[in-house]
Amino acid sequence: MQTVEELIPQLKELIIKQLNLEGVTPESFDADMPLFGEGLGLDSIDAIELIVLLDRNYGIKLADPKEGKKVFQSVRTMAEFIQQNVKK
Amino acid sequence: MKERYYINGVGIVSPQRTFDNAEFLNEITHYNENVLHCVLPEFKEYINPIQLRRLSRMLRVGLSAAVICLRDSKEIAPHGIITGTGYGFLHETAKFLEEIYQYNEKQLTPTYFMQSTYNALAGLVALTLKCKGYNNTHVNKGFAFETSLHDAMMHLTPDASQTFLVGAFDETDKAQFNIHSQIGYYKAEPIDSLKLFEYKTTGTLQGEGAAFFSISGTPGENVLCELADLKMIFCPEDSHSLAMDVNEFLSANNITTDQVDVLVSGLSGDVKNDEKLKVVIETEFNHSIDVRFKHLSGEYCTASSFGCWVGASILKKQYIPDVLRFNNTIATNPKTVLIINQYMGRNYSLILLKNK
Amino acid sequence: MSRRVFVTGYGIITSIGTGAEKNYESLINRHCGYGAIELLDTVHQTDIPACEIKLHDHELCKLADVPDGSGYTRTALLGVIALREAMAMANLSTNEIKQAGLLSATTTGGIRELEKYYYQLQDSSQQGNFRVFSDSANPGEHTERMAELFGIKGYIGTISTACSSSANTIMMGADLIKNGVLNTAICGGTEALSKFTINGFNTLMILDKEQCRPFDKSRTGLNLGEGAAYLVLESEESILASGKKPIAEVKGYGNTNDAFHQTASSPDGGGAYQAMLHALVMGGVTSSQIDYVNAHGTATENNDLSEGLAMQKLFDAKVPHFSSTKPYTGHTLAAAGAIEAVFCMLAMQHDIIYPSINFKYQMDELTISPQQELIKNIKLNYILSNSFGFGGNASSLLFSSVTK
Repeated sequence: MQTVEELIPQLKELIIKQLNLEGVTPESFDADMPLFGEGLGLDSIDAIELIVLLDRNYGIKLADPKEGKKVFQSVRTMAEFIQQNVKK
Repeated sequence: MKERYYINGVGIVSPQRTFDNAEFLNEITHYNENVLHCVLPEFKEYINPIQLRRLSRMLRVGLSAAVICLRDSKEIAPHGIITGTGYGFLHETAKFLEEIYQYNEKQLTPTYFMQSTYNALAGLVALTLKCKGYNNTHVNKGFAFETSLHDAMMHLTPDASQTFLVGAFDETDKAQFNIHSQIGYYKAEPIDSLKLFEYKTTGTLQGEGAAFFSISGTPGENVLCELADLKMIFCPEDSHSLAMDVNEFLSANNITTDQVDVLVSGLSGDVKNDEKLKVVIETEFNHSIDVRFKHLSGEYCTASSFGCWVGASILKKQYIPDVLRFNNTIATNPKTVLIINQYMGRNYSLILLKNK
Repeated sequence: MSRRVFVTGYGIITSIGTGAEKNYESLINRHCGYGAIELLDTVHQTDIPACEIKLHDHELCKLADVPDGSGYTRTALLGVIALREAMAMANLSTNEIKQAGLLSATTTGGIRELEKYYYQLQDSSQQGNFRVFSDSANPGEHTERMAELFGIKGYIGTISTACSSSANTIMMGADLIKNGVLNTAICGGTEALSKFTINGFNTLMILDKEQCRPFDKSRTGLNLGEGAAYLVLESEESILASGKKPIAEVKGYGNTNDAFHQTASSPDGGGAYQAMLHALVMGGVTSSQIDYVNAHGTATENNDLSEGLAMQKLFDAKVPHFSSTKPYTGHTLAAAGAIEAVFCMLAMQHDIIYPSINFKYQMDELTISPQQELIKNIKLNYILSNSFGFGGNASSLLFSSVTK
């Protein structure tokens, strides 16, 4: 299993691709920046996209979108969640 | 309709460079694959980056056209937004369908589904402008644009000071092109789009575009023309019955056929579908300037919106680019334009425009 | 123009019955169409329940009296069945039909057939009867087909504003009559279940894996349904000329946009409130005169909160009886407005108010709860019927009884 630090750059690329974040590079946002509201400015539909991202790429299913609020606070919290929950 | 309506602004993105209202077909693009794609503006000039990145191509095109129109009419707060489309957002529909197959209905994402809904553009424009007024989307094939105009006109009747934003859009799509090619919609062999009317074969070209018009009961600062009247005719029996409908329409507007300076026709290059309309043009309008547009726009359900832009621009600019003309008749200051469109030989529409 | 508009007929087919009588019986006997999906070929037959009409397409063809294999999509078949009943009830003459307008609504159109034959349709090497569905991607196709079948020539329109679509056809039909364009407008909508829609709503995580619970604290989402309904609207002159007795009057309506989010309604119910208010103002009716609200009540967290707050604001302390009939029929998307308008007609004619089935616990944010028991022998003079959709579209219809 990858470490949180290893997951972070990979996750950034996946997020940019999944959400079609044109003009955004992995360097332009930091792992601790809030993804929603301020920061990257994602919305509720993006939250669902991220749930699908977790499922497709890491096999993790988040049945309740509300659980997503904590998990998707930042790239780092996402990486930590993946590290704890990924199914091989 | 006894009330008067005006086109106070326009914004159009099409297979020609049409998004700059200062120009009028100065630069012409021709296509060789029977599919005409939009010449795109710089979206950043019309849509903020946070909003932009979440939008599909056609939503970008549509929203840009709406913003261009608003700037053109110097209107910031329309009272209502109405859009018309034939097939809606085909790309997103296709992508969602393909994902359904690829992932066997599991692990699907919401964006394609949401952006495939027919009213996504009307909703997006309302959201962008925070317009809480009347909002509707018409999807009745070759009448979608005309019904949207008509809907706006009905809503403007009680209050002439209001403004409605009326838009129409359709997009090209590979899957639909393939499907419709099997039933003869398009030319069997690739042709040069500008030579569309030289062929006496069936089939037309697939086109796309988004056009918005600012309509009001009161002429605005930048008014293009008067939107005098419109009519929709479904499956006329023959050219004679179509001619009668056209004459009745003109007569209800106190005009005779020889007072129509410019006849903008939606001939599509499909010899069969064009038959009735061609006869009417030849018998009733041989003294009008013969303007056609589908060699520039391609054919799609709401292509008459391109035709409407052509007609309105002719009246505003008092000039007809050569690429539009198909006879040698001259009119020094055109005052009356009649647009007669046909879609697939079934949906016929008449739009009468007059100089303000 | 203040031309009055009346309802003179209606037709309906849903998972709780074919025809108005069957639907009415189901409503008063709490028979719901909820259950497992069986006819639509989808992997979700095991995990997503819906309100499916248990009739195969060939059976629908028989009911619609059209030849099987002639290109009628399931959406169109449902439409034909409901349309036929509506026109018969209104007793329209051949000439009236010819001059009438047909305004139909759909969000799916023929997507069910397109998704089934998507790759074959594109492949020139494949031949077969599926080619009759070559244009089923077009939402307006079904309306033209129905208009041609019945000889309706006055006006042909198709509207698609998500879940408020058929409410908008009723409004536009009324507008066309008021503006003197038509004397008769047949308005409604039709929707068949499809993989596209089921999966689409599933991605938004707003489906309930059990029967939906509108306005309930524990609600988790909606159930999808399929069906069709049409109402025949006529001008006052038309009715006076024919001497027919109208069923109800289309007294007022409101169409607004929430302008809050692409799919969600504003949490304070602003759009819903404005739509209902417009309907009242147009009808010259005060909120205290409303006897019943047929709520949109999809049982999504978002809608019911938004709509509940809007009703509380509009009616102040005195919210009238309200219920959602979606636990019976599921959410029939574009057809919902018309289906529920027909339910309002039935309510008015039978002096009843339907229960909002499956409700147990009041929402914390609201001081109101939907009607839980069937109420009989209640005179309904004014009914509001709500339909709110994606894209911020909010529509509300106000119907009034006719005393003479």
